Amino acid sequence: MSTLAPFMTAQIEAIAEEVFAAMVDGEPGHLVPLPAPAELTDPLYAWVDMHADVSGRALIATDVTTAHALARALLGMPDDEPVGEADLVDAFGEVANVVGGNLKALLPVQGTLTLPRVGRPVPALAGATKVDEVALSWRGLPLDITVWQI
Amino acid sequence: MRALVIDDSRAMRRIVSRILAEIGYETAEAADGRQALDLLEAGERFDLACIDWNMPVMNGLELVVAVRARREWRDLTMMMVTTESEHGQIVRALAAGAHEYLIKPFTPDAIRDKLELLGLVPQEEMA
Repeated sequence: MSTLAPFMTAQIEAIAEEVFAAMVDGEPGHLVPLPAPAELTDPLYAWVDMHADVSGRALIATDVTTAHALARALLGMPDDEPVGEADLVDAFGEVANVVGGNLKALLPVQGTLTLPRVGRPVPALAGATKVDEVALSWRGLPLDITVWQI
Repeated sequence: MRALVIDDSRAMRRIVSRILAEIGYETAEAADGRQALDLLEAGERFDLACIDWNMPVMNGLELVVAVRARREWRDLTMMMVTTESEHGQIVRALAAGAHEYLIKPFTPDAIRDKLELLGLVPQEEMA
């Protein structure tokens, strides 16, 4: 049975930094690694599943308030403008989609990527094993990326 | 010049449209391949289509094939803008009739560079 080999932490960080620099911030330097995951008080999750000879899930977790800030940045909205639920799901999901798509490109056997999903709590992953976890800080706010074999 | 931005993510449509507008394009948007075909069949004309791959209803590759099957749309330049970065997938899209391929995430400069390769930067923007 095939297994999902761990991605190098540096590769996940590099992908995330590139995604945020290009899509969210317009410049590098606002997403930085943390030594350990910070506790999320009101977590929201966005994820995509990768299906090839082995299946995996790229999952991004952050606090709801951070997800709102992320959506505003992605959509070019003023800091004080409220984000609707549809925009929140769409923007946060697209970040997961691009991060997951670039992680999929690192797999030795290519496959398909599901459409992104956003929710809380994250659906139970029966039998899933965590392959990687990267703790990040975006503009001082915690954000975690985990990769699971499912 | 007119561009049609096709992506199921409104955020991504907005990002691409904003970049194209800065380059000098008038833009319209569609949330999937079917919506894009509906616009084309209604007589809308575009110089460029920026097409996501992974979309519900009708995906980007299916749209490229459908557009290429119609002689009246042969002047439409199609650029895939997608996270699909597998070499085989890129070859499939180009073989089906896409002209260029841009992998997400991208910078505004990357879109401009692709349009310059295609000769699709509006003249006033080039000056």
